[in-house]
Amino acid sequence: MTGFLVRRVAQSTLVVLGVTVITFVLTKLLPGGVARAILGVRASPQAIAEFNHENGLDLPAWQQYLYYLGQLLHGNLGFSYHLNQSVVELLQDHLPKTLILLTISTLLALAIAVPLGMLQAVRRNKLEDYFFTSLSFALYSMPPFWLALILIIIFAVNLNLLPPQGPQGAVSTYLDDPSQILGLVLPVMSLALVTIALFSRYMRSSMLDNLVQDYVRTARAKGVSTTGVLYRHVLRNALIPIVTLLGLSLPGIFSGALITEAIFNYPGMGLLFWNSSQSRDYPVLLGVTLVVAVATVVGNLLADVFYAVVDPRVRVTE
Amino acid sequence: MRIHDLRAVTILPLMALVLAACGTGTTGANKLAGGTATFAELPAATPSYILPMTSCKYFSVTNLSQFIELMYRPLYWFGQNGQVKLNSDLSLASDPVYSDGGKTVTMKLKNWKWSDGAPITSRDVQFWMNLYKANLGGYCGYTPKYFPDNVTSMSYPDPQTVVFSLDKAYGSYWFTYNELSQITPMPQHAWDKTSDSSPVGDYDMDPKTAVDVYKYLDGQSKTLGTFATNPLWQVVSGPWKLKSFSTEGAVAMIPNPGYSGPVKPTIAEFDLQPYTTGTAEFNVLHSGGIDLGYIPTESVSQKDSLTKYTFQPWIGWQFVYFQENFNNAINGAIYKQLYFRQAMQHLVDQTTWISQIFKGYAVPTYGPVPIQPASQFVSPGERNNPYPYDPAAAIKLLTDNGWTVKPGGVSTCSNPGTGTGQCGAGIASGQKASFKLEYASGTIAVTQEMEALKTAFSKAGLELNLSENPFNTVIGDAFGGTTTADMDNWGGGWIYAPDYMPTGESLFSTGAGSNGGAYSDSKMDDLITATTTSNDVQALYAYEDYNAQQLPVIFIPSADAALTMAKKTLHGWDPQDPLLQIYPENWYFTSS
Repeated sequence: MTGFLVRRVAQSTLVVLGVTVITFVLTKLLPGGVARAILGVRASPQAIAEFNHENGLDLPAWQQYLYYLGQLLHGNLGFSYHLNQSVVELLQDHLPKTLILLTISTLLALAIAVPLGMLQAVRRNKLEDYFFTSLSFALYSMPPFWLALILIIIFAVNLNLLPPQGPQGAVSTYLDDPSQILGLVLPVMSLALVTIALFSRYMRSSMLDNLVQDYVRTARAKGVSTTGVLYRHVLRNALIPIVTLLGLSLPGIFSGALITEAIFNYPGMGLLFWNSSQSRDYPVLLGVTLVVAVATVVGNLLADVFYAVVDPRVRVTE
Repeated sequence: MRIHDLRAVTILPLMALVLAACGTGTTGANKLAGGTATFAELPAATPSYILPMTSCKYFSVTNLSQFIELMYRPLYWFGQNGQVKLNSDLSLASDPVYSDGGKTVTMKLKNWKWSDGAPITSRDVQFWMNLYKANLGGYCGYTPKYFPDNVTSMSYPDPQTVVFSLDKAYGSYWFTYNELSQITPMPQHAWDKTSDSSPVGDYDMDPKTAVDVYKYLDGQSKTLGTFATNPLWQVVSGPWKLKSFSTEGAVAMIPNPGYSGPVKPTIAEFDLQPYTTGTAEFNVLHSGGIDLGYIPTESVSQKDSLTKYTFQPWIGWQFVYFQENFNNAINGAIYKQLYFRQAMQHLVDQTTWISQIFKGYAVPTYGPVPIQPASQFVSPGERNNPYPYDPAAAIKLLTDNGWTVKPGGVSTCSNPGTGTGQCGAGIASGQKASFKLEYASGTIAVTQEMEALKTAFSKAGLELNLSENPFNTVIGDAFGGTTTADMDNWGGGWIYAPDYMPTGESLFSTGAGSNGGAYSDSKMDDLITATTTSNDVQALYAYEDYNAQQLPVIFIPSADAALTMAKKTLHGWDPQDPLLQIYPENWYFTSS
């Protein structure tokens, strides 16, 4: 197990290093002058020169990369051109908000999708299965922005039950003001509904695969009750692909959060990325990309580790 | 004829005050004291800088007109009753007095006070000037050879008086509107320090330590989380001071009880609210959560469904254009021919673009001076389009000058030479009328305009090869000074601020920093110089008429700055300022 872990961590480190190279090179490949783009048509030659010097843009590209990497190792992700803050500060402000949104919506999605998938598998080709399959397809085929707008029209504009935007205060103030918690309801719903559709389909399929396995027949032959078979044997095995899927879904969930945050005016990391792309704020784009890449790599690493824990065959194969 | 008697304008704000006090538009509803007014920031445009000496990175309407200037008033305030005018009432100094044939300017400060009770004096102006001169790259208003390079000496004979000696005689109107307009007095008694722990001193008097002071203040302005608590920013001259500031752009302001200006705030709080997109803002507008906001252009057909709001377009003091590169190795010679530029301008269908692309919410551009909002700066000649959309006229211009026109194909020069009826200098026989135009991606309206232009150009056999590129690429090429860049449209134009008088020294004079297309014309240079040295409005008119006729760039419509939606219970916000400044100290609510 230790060797397996060491290999996985080493691979992940190389992947993250590769991500820094790719993201850095991509920004350097963009033609045109960053200084003029940021400072505008009014900037004097002095201002352009000062900007290039301040940001190391007058150095050769390889020196810029090494400088960037050195700063990364010191925990410095750069300074935003537009927002006038360090990228680390920006991430400290915005990342917890996205994490709250993603955590609640993912947990909610799992809490609903897992039993829903089980129900559909057990009641395969029955009315419940057809109904939830149709609902899942409908939700999964909806573009997240469209679903979000529909929710706003129904719950905020027509029924006036919920705020049309997410909480605007700092995370630490959420519990002080109930309206801020209410503001989370629609963004969480719009993210969770699509994720429920995805996870429940996988869960149904995984359960169906496991229900016909020999070990299930053996358990039944040994007199284990249907509930016992489902919860003690089938569920654990059926969850394995869901764990993998969860790790792989992180970037997808993040991109969903980007759209959700933009529509619900929720100042999380998705929104930070959106705004920075609009204003060509490359240090922020690099920082957010790196954090998402690291999160994805770590997510997959954890999924691998968890996979190895629940399924010893993985370790043996390795 | 004098352009304008500066003293006369003092009467107008008094009239405005009287009108405001009468509660125009309240139709008998009760005027309420207090309340919190909310203002929607434009999408992804949140305040990020507080020091009034603002570098180009932070030089934006969001930072300046709608944030910093609420707390720090410029020496001279421009904007009055929806027009671009010196507003003597809101200025910190009396109107400047010019003497010595226009080579000396004297300014007398009024007896206004900082929020901590200290008087605003000439030392505060000197503090600004010293930091400016020591950090020329630090302030975006700087144009080499102009202010403050054209000030040969400064003196501050008493706490109320500032005297500048100039390197030559300038027009008083131009110098006030474009040079003195840049000054914002800063509280020397509180800000003249080089670190948190250093005592306040006279560090600005030495250019070396003035750099340190600027670095310290700029550094403090980089810690957004402390804006509302940093003692530096608690000392203000404007009607508002910060109550809270979030790094996401949510700002709460409360009245400055020590404000010396003529109109004191009556609402209890003024909030700026950030929005991710126009759609997000529109969703909140629908639920009535904003007092003064905007409706996205794509949703403007729904404006009547928002029955609690009043709709009014907000037109900015700007004009929009795209440029040809007069130094282009292949097409530069073509661009240097006036008849060809005229033919191209004849193919810009501004009327249709405005109605179809901008749904009517844009203003046509006929020259370098915006024709709306109405101003004294527009010449009678520029009020009408000298080159209306007319493909036949474009074709005639080309055929009259040696081109064989192939509508739908590519026209060619068939009569080279420099004589009458010939293509012009540097244009060879058989040269094709084929151009590359790159435009900035990301704005639907710009894409639609350029596609429409391509179609119109083809009617006269002008082949337009469009390429959509990131903003960086386009603006980099536009100002790269190469011979390969052809036509560039970065999707923006020119906003006249803080150079409020629409003269063209930064844009169209030979070698000017913002003259990316390398346009050069000695007569244009002379006319521009005349606008800076003359007080006669005819000098400005002569420049803009010549500019509109000569077409140093291709003029295209200018979209309205915003489509304002104001709650019907909110008053005092109208007329909207073309410089996009806001005056929440004038705002108040009524019960219905």
